[in-house]
Amino acid sequence: MPEISDSDSSKLPDNASKVPPQPQSQPDFDPKLMRETKPGLKRLFLTLTVLFSFLLGFPFLWKSVEIYRSPLPFREIDSLLTQLRSDTLLFPLHFHALFIGFDSDPDRIRLSILSEITKVTSQNPKCSNNYTLSVTVDFGPRCLRFPISSPHSISYQCGSITATDFVQNDDVAVDEKLESVFSGKTKEYSVVVVKGESEKAVVGKYRHAWMVVGGGWEMEIAAVKVAEVLVKVFVNGGREEGSIRNEFMPVGADGKIVLSFNLLNADPRDWVYDWDFRKIDDGLLATMIDALGPVANISVESQVLYHTPKASFSYWNQKLESHVFSNKDLPFFVNSNEWHLDTSIAAGGRSKILQFVVYVPSAKECPLLLQLPNGEISKTNGFISPMWGGVIVWNPQGCLKDSENKPTAGHRIPMQDLENMFEVFIGQFRQIFGFKSVNVYAGASGVWNLLPSERGFTVWEVDVLSRQHTCFNLHSCATTLGSLSRLVQSLPRMIIMDEIGKQVKLSLEAAKLAQSNASSGVYESSAASSRKARSLAEDSFFHPSIMSVSYYSFEHCFAVYSPFFLPVSMHIGLAALRELRRYKKEKAKYLAWKAKSNTAS
Amino acid sequence: MALLQRPFFVLLLVLTHQFMQYWIAFGSVNEEGQKQEEEFNEELLLKPLPDRKVLAHFHFQSSAPPSTSNGRHHHIFPKAISQLVQKFRVKEMELSFTQGRWNYESWGGFDPIPSSNAKPPGVELWAVFDVPQHQIDASWQNLTHTLSGLFCASINFLESTTTYSAPEWSFPPASGNLRYGTLPREAVCTENLTPWLKLLPCRDKAGIAVLLDRPSIYRGFYHSQRLHLTSTGSGSEGMVSGIILEQTLTVVLQPNSQRAGMAYASERHIQPSWSLTSIFGKQVSGTCVLAKSSNVYLLLDRGLVAELEHLHKENEKSAENGFTSQNFWTKPSFELSADPDRIFIEENSLHSKGSSVLYKFQVEKYSESEPFDLSLTWKIPVVWLSQQAPLHASRFLMGSGNERGAIAISLKSTQLSEGFMGANADDERCDLQVNVFQVVPWYVKVYFHSLQVFVNQQPKAISDIIEKIHVSPSKDKVSPGVMEMVLKLPCKVNSAALTIEFDKGFLHIDEYPPDANQGFDIPSAIISFPNFHASMIFLKDDSVNKSPLLSKFQEKSPVMSYTEALLVPLTTPDFSMPYNVITITCTVFALYFGSLLNVLRRRVAEEERFLKEKAAKKTGRLSLLLSKLSAKLRGAWNEGSLRVS
Repeated sequence: MPEISDSDSSKLPDNASKVPPQPQSQPDFDPKLMRETKPGLKRLFLTLTVLFSFLLGFPFLWKSVEIYRSPLPFREIDSLLTQLRSDTLLFPLHFHALFIGFDSDPDRIRLSILSEITKVTSQNPKCSNNYTLSVTVDFGPRCLRFPISSPHSISYQCGSITATDFVQNDDVAVDEKLESVFSGKTKEYSVVVVKGESEKAVVGKYRHAWMVVGGGWEMEIAAVKVAEVLVKVFVNGGREEGSIRNEFMPVGADGKIVLSFNLLNADPRDWVYDWDFRKIDDGLLATMIDALGPVANISVESQVLYHTPKASFSYWNQKLESHVFSNKDLPFFVNSNEWHLDTSIAAGGRSKILQFVVYVPSAKECPLLLQLPNGEISKTNGFISPMWGGVIVWNPQGCLKDSENKPTAGHRIPMQDLENMFEVFIGQFRQIFGFKSVNVYAGASGVWNLLPSERGFTVWEVDVLSRQHTCFNLHSCATTLGSLSRLVQSLPRMIIMDEIGKQVKLSLEAAKLAQSNASSGVYESSAASSRKARSLAEDSFFHPSIMSVSYYSFEHCFAVYSPFFLPVSMHIGLAALRELRRYKKEKAKYLAWKAKSNTAS
Repeated sequence: MALLQRPFFVLLLVLTHQFMQYWIAFGSVNEEGQKQEEEFNEELLLKPLPDRKVLAHFHFQSSAPPSTSNGRHHHIFPKAISQLVQKFRVKEMELSFTQGRWNYESWGGFDPIPSSNAKPPGVELWAVFDVPQHQIDASWQNLTHTLSGLFCASINFLESTTTYSAPEWSFPPASGNLRYGTLPREAVCTENLTPWLKLLPCRDKAGIAVLLDRPSIYRGFYHSQRLHLTSTGSGSEGMVSGIILEQTLTVVLQPNSQRAGMAYASERHIQPSWSLTSIFGKQVSGTCVLAKSSNVYLLLDRGLVAELEHLHKENEKSAENGFTSQNFWTKPSFELSADPDRIFIEENSLHSKGSSVLYKFQVEKYSESEPFDLSLTWKIPVVWLSQQAPLHASRFLMGSGNERGAIAISLKSTQLSEGFMGANADDERCDLQVNVFQVVPWYVKVYFHSLQVFVNQQPKAISDIIEKIHVSPSKDKVSPGVMEMVLKLPCKVNSAALTIEFDKGFLHIDEYPPDANQGFDIPSAIISFPNFHASMIFLKDDSVNKSPLLSKFQEKSPVMSYTEALLVPLTTPDFSMPYNVITITCTVFALYFGSLLNVLRRRVAEEERFLKEKAAKKTGRLSLLLSKLSAKLRGAWNEGSLRVS
């Protein structure tokens, strides 16, 4: 109210200033169309200032409601992906072919072997190998080498292997001899071709193979066979090409495998069997775990479970006098309701657990045999399930329920049976890794005998696995990071903690290190850093904070702020618009008056 | 009786001596190593309760001796538990899931069963760790998560520091490395029982556990499933410590009353006759073959035995027969369907009230063709009372409103126990020691200075009654308040009460649970009587030592009882309030801004002018309108003339 009275008092002079002193003096002066004074800028300036400060506030508001997103190296992830997709990862390999008793030019042999190698090599879309080959022809006291300055061929002392070494029939001794001759600092795969009486082709358990050929053998045929053993056995591990199993490795993201062995007594009322697992663990398994050290960190657990029937039925076969479980029912053998095999608490969250099960059938289904698809009975009486583990059915002796004997009276599985069983398990384990358990490799050019290792996996097999492991880890790391980056980019309102950013960065660094190590041939460290890269990538992808996306949506933000911003922006906008319009009108009036007064004067 | 007792006492001494030697021998076996095997025992104890109900107490014990491969290779012992013990270095742990409340008044509070198996509703977990002091909390948190996964329960809520506490000395297995937490509102059902059963070698496929028929046990009045593990010290270097895992399930069931030809006038005094089939709907068809022993016990408690003896004496008097305890138990006033394999009579000199009697049945004798189905048929009506703890504790809330209140713990003397308390009362000063352990969540802000003690309804000075007190005040949103007290009450006390006032705190809007209006639970307080030991000593021989349940009974554990869990209503906000506040503030701000802007750009002079002009126009138009109206009123005929003019 006082304001009004105030304005009332100031009305007169204001009026006087605005209204021209003599409006009536000029006959054609229309106050609706003209004015004599310049229109004031005060209010226009004020409203525009408010409008601008309001608009300036918007970026601040935007900043304040922004959620925290740690910057992720999207470009580097993309470059890693494209790099791994386009240029395949190259592992350098070195082959050495040694010919004893041949009389030919090493350069010519080398060329023919190389041409055969390129013929045999199939391009793996993911990882391939970058190989070099050196050939030595041994004449006893001196030898011919090509390439002459290769460090691999020079490490071989001429005449240290003679044809007489191969006369004996003991393959293991030959293998040891070759290992002692060739074991230099460099890891090379060597093939020795010897002229002799009997024909023989053997792949040892280290990184060597040898071939005894008859007198009439052509150089070319030998070259074909050498090329095949180098590529198919040493490089590919003697496995089938293109099977899916080769791509997956049953190794957890943290590089660990837990082998959980379970002895299942289907019905303890009939009989209860126990085992002496500790002996097996210390003996058979420890050496295998040691051999697989470069690929995975393996731990072993065991338990005995009771009242664990299988899930499907078997039928009685009169001819075999046993119960037969047919192949088509195998998916229903594992009874996930009753077999509480459990995950391991001791293992970390991302270790791979492989379950190996010894199934002791109950009296009413004993003896239980597994049938192959071709109708024959399985020799191992077991089967594997990829990425899960394996099952062996073990039938107790006699299968007769001795009612007098109390079932608890400690039956133990005989040690001999147990050892056989674990040999089958090791075979199954090899199968899960994609290796065969037959001792013969039949290639296109001939048959190679494979010497089995008492450690479960031969040295060259572990090499294959560690190469494959590195390759698989790098690809899985890249795809995980790729999907993380896609996810993050597709959800703009997702919170990304600093920790995720750090993990992604470390993972990329580890992946780069793995790549560079792989290309310089350091398998162990490249496997280790690729494992690290993969586990960090998985950690970042499965980080618990990544779930906090959906609770603070843009709609929420809009609902909270609109009661303020909607009315205020309407007020300010309208005021600015009005002032602007008025200013324009008034200015036109003034200009009209000015023009008029100009013409009048 | 006194003459009889002396030889027994000597025998007891001799036996304990032998027992000690046995223990020493036991230790040496440990050092040799590997000789012991993993063991499993299953037992069931049945006990008629005074209020026509039946208590069934399942006791399963698995043990793993110290060995180098614990946690890796197991034969009977559950691998998961062993790995848990190794990973978190748990020395002792107890986890219980309970539904319903143990009725201390009618089901008793002095026996080993209520004092170690009556548990507060919901989940209770405590654990003692064998790790350095600064790692305990981390171990506890990891343990809660693991158990939560293992038992399908929300035990992981005990991870937050506001939910667990570290009692110093009032909780019985007191030690500095103890953590204690409860979840009073956790619902317990089959999904918790199944993983618990999975730890037994035979699960519920064979043996006594077959009786665990889900509908019947969850229909009961009380259901408590407990898991207790103790790791026994490792024998020598490189050995991993052994573990004893004790799993118990205590249920109180109402048998369907069978009136098999009983025609007594006072039917409601007759205890219902029952059998295993009538309470569980199943019967035992053999043992779990892996169990070392598999026994069913029937326990008649002291009160019942005294009553039966009394009745028997009256009958015998008329028959003029000499009373001996021998023929009494072979001709009791009830009938059992199976002959007991052994009868144990409690060896007790302390309690004048008679001694409990235990019938043992070996399940090994029965098979699928001849299943074990114990049934008990009463021949005469019996009324008795169970033995009570010296004081009956209850806890309640006082005050009203959402601002403040008070917690009161009232202890009432149980008249029954007066007898043996009176025995000590002759001493010049007789004290009854009571330990109280109480955890209060942080949002119930207790004022410890307001603690008041009443004895026989008379206020007493705190220093007279409370001998020792340890208080760790709560920290907002960090830790709960813990109160531990030792009370010394005179023996002849009738009632005692403790009150303490509190203010109700305000929670942040995020901290309210989904059903905030239900109220917030204050976990049960634990009242223990360290001078009273709940143990039953039976005539010692090998068969008692072999049975884990009976050796458990002989352990001297203090009498313990839990009070009720309290439900405190807190002020719950209107959860849409933040939005309302935002909206109204924004509107006020918008109004303010708008009007300020309007005032700033107002042209007062011009408006006045406009108004004047408008007023002038308005009057003109109005007059025009008025004239028009009058013209219309006057009539249309002179319109033309008007226009002309």
